[in-house]
Amino acid sequence: MFPDWMNNATQPFDSVLVANRGEIAVRILRAAKESGLRGIAVYSDPDKGSLHVETSDDAIHLPGDNLSETYLNMDAIISAAKQSGAQAIHPGYGFLSERADFAKAVQSAGLVWIGPSPEAIETMGDKISARRRMIESEVPIIPGEELAIESDSNPLGVLASSAARVGYPLLVKASAGGGGKGMRAVYEPKMLRTEYEAAAREASAAFGDGTVYVERLLTGSRHVEIQVLCDKYGNSIHLNERDCSLQRRHQKVIEEAPSPAVTSEIRNAMGIAAIRAAKAVNYEGAGTVEFLLTSKGEFFFLEMNTRLQVEHPVTELITGVDLVQKQFEVAAGLSLGLSQADIGITGHSIEARIYAEDVSKGFLPAIGKLAMWRPPSTPGVRMDSGFREGDEVTVDFDPMLAKLIVHAPDRPAALRRLDSALSEFIVLGVTTNVGFLRQIARSNTFSEGMVTTDFLDNVSLDEFSQPQIEDSILVSISAASNRLGIDRYSRNTNPESSLIDEYSGHSDDPFRTLTRSFP
Amino acid sequence: MEWSIDNSGPRYIASFSETDGKLKLSKIVSDNNEQLIPDISISRDEKPGRILIELEGVTSFAHVIRSDDKWWIHFQGHIYVTNMHEPGSKDSSLSEGSLSAPMPGTILDVLVKSGQRVRQGQTLLIMEAMKMEHRIQAPKAGEVTVVHFQKGDRVDMGQNLVEIGE
Repeated sequence: MFPDWMNNATQPFDSVLVANRGEIAVRILRAAKESGLRGIAVYSDPDKGSLHVETSDDAIHLPGDNLSETYLNMDAIISAAKQSGAQAIHPGYGFLSERADFAKAVQSAGLVWIGPSPEAIETMGDKISARRRMIESEVPIIPGEELAIESDSNPLGVLASSAARVGYPLLVKASAGGGGKGMRAVYEPKMLRTEYEAAAREASAAFGDGTVYVERLLTGSRHVEIQVLCDKYGNSIHLNERDCSLQRRHQKVIEEAPSPAVTSEIRNAMGIAAIRAAKAVNYEGAGTVEFLLTSKGEFFFLEMNTRLQVEHPVTELITGVDLVQKQFEVAAGLSLGLSQADIGITGHSIEARIYAEDVSKGFLPAIGKLAMWRPPSTPGVRMDSGFREGDEVTVDFDPMLAKLIVHAPDRPAALRRLDSALSEFIVLGVTTNVGFLRQIARSNTFSEGMVTTDFLDNVSLDEFSQPQIEDSILVSISAASNRLGIDRYSRNTNPESSLIDEYSGHSDDPFRTLTRSFP
Repeated sequence: MEWSIDNSGPRYIASFSETDGKLKLSKIVSDNNEQLIPDISISRDEKPGRILIELEGVTSFAHVIRSDDKWWIHFQGHIYVTNMHEPGSKDSSLSEGSLSAPMPGTILDVLVKSGQRVRQGQTLLIMEAMKMEHRIQAPKAGEVTVVHFQKGDRVDMGQNLVEIGE
């Protein structure tokens, strides 16, 4: 039985297998249920009792010890789809989501692939082919030139004229270099010679190649990306930008929409460029075009992510568009049903990624049992998570526990809401970055909207440690709790003692008073 | 019971006076020295895992839970952890000067040999866990006496990796 909304679909489906795990699998399975589709989960051994399995209508076990045998195993996933009668596959993000060969295999198996064509994935997945395609489509890319330098020529003349075209400050990269070797920053023309020679020396082992790459150095820029939605009939719209400048080692930490640095002129220009990028590969479905936005307001194409993004909820909150539902519709062959004029911006949204990690120990991932897990629940707060209280955080998977997303009428209100939601988030038993996120969100640089991608690299993390509290207060709380027997797990394992609380006369069961129960 | 905030930091012993299930802090002793204490009373609340705290005349809730020998506390919007120790127990189950694996993973590289002198903060080995690289650094200067693992070995959480002598 196809749901009603699929009446005019050219490729209707009644069920979807989610080839993923964790919060994104939960997100997609819930969307499927809501849309009247049967949701099928896959899981490996450590995920047997996970929330995404609980959320599904049917779950198929993927045997094996490691990811390549389970969540990265294309054959196993396609046969799970066959076995469960799934008619479509949603890859989520990560895992197989950007594998053109998987998209192709899904289609060859006669299943609906919820994503762009294998060709689009392939073109955008390769940096060089993506760059070439963007040049053809007049999407701005980071200015740069490749120069072949003959061993007997005077390289400086060629270099200098290329450098003048590219603009300073710039990076000189010996093609033979790598891992930071053979790459030098040049801030002004008179430094070109010494820095070029240093780069050449560093890459000397393989310098016979002679190819040098000159690229504009963009410091103090922001990471701003545009969400696009395209259908199979050539309709393409953008859903505004997300600012993901707050990163640590290229790992996004906090994302928001709209960007505090994007004016409506930049938004329009960037939106047009993003649509052009998507059209260049005949994109279908939801995708993201990432740009670097300089302090001067210039922007350059970085890459296109041909899948749903982790941070998609901030776009959903400011536009009111359910991106996963739209992915279903486009994959089924329905037209977008939305035009650019339908897309506005309502309020401001911020997402904070809750990681199981110890910030004070160099962001070391933390493990353990989520002994107490009480996410905030107030208006304007959304939590996407694959974890529940009592779940074990292990080394098997990514340490992201949850995404806390707030929505408020404007940015200052969203910041206040984020601070309050983080302060109410009770997560005990596993070390998390909640306190760190709270301090960052309160920092002047972030609250003034001035964060660039190098922000966390250039500050001392001590700045974000949480306020000190007297040892004596913590000792009193712990010692008193111990003496009062506040120990939920030990009480639960002993049913006799869990019935009646010796001090208050109450028990955990709201229908029970003293020894009488009222079913 | 003895309590610490930092495992290697001072140990505290707290005493309370009890009236109708409410515990009022009367004394905290550390190293035979009586500490300055706040005016704080703690009582049980009907919700599991929640307690009532009166601190300097202000009443608020805290959420607490024990996990092994740690107590986790959510109080005034922040999360804290304390350690519970049997009276008179040693600092930690590990011998001093040894370095244990902070989590299960694989040794990617061993950068020191036994007999080598290292300075504090020097990277001794690199391990991979949860798809990320972690540098294991010397907590103090000294001589490496034993290296327990080599490149490619799998290690479990808490296993001793390297011993450092004087």
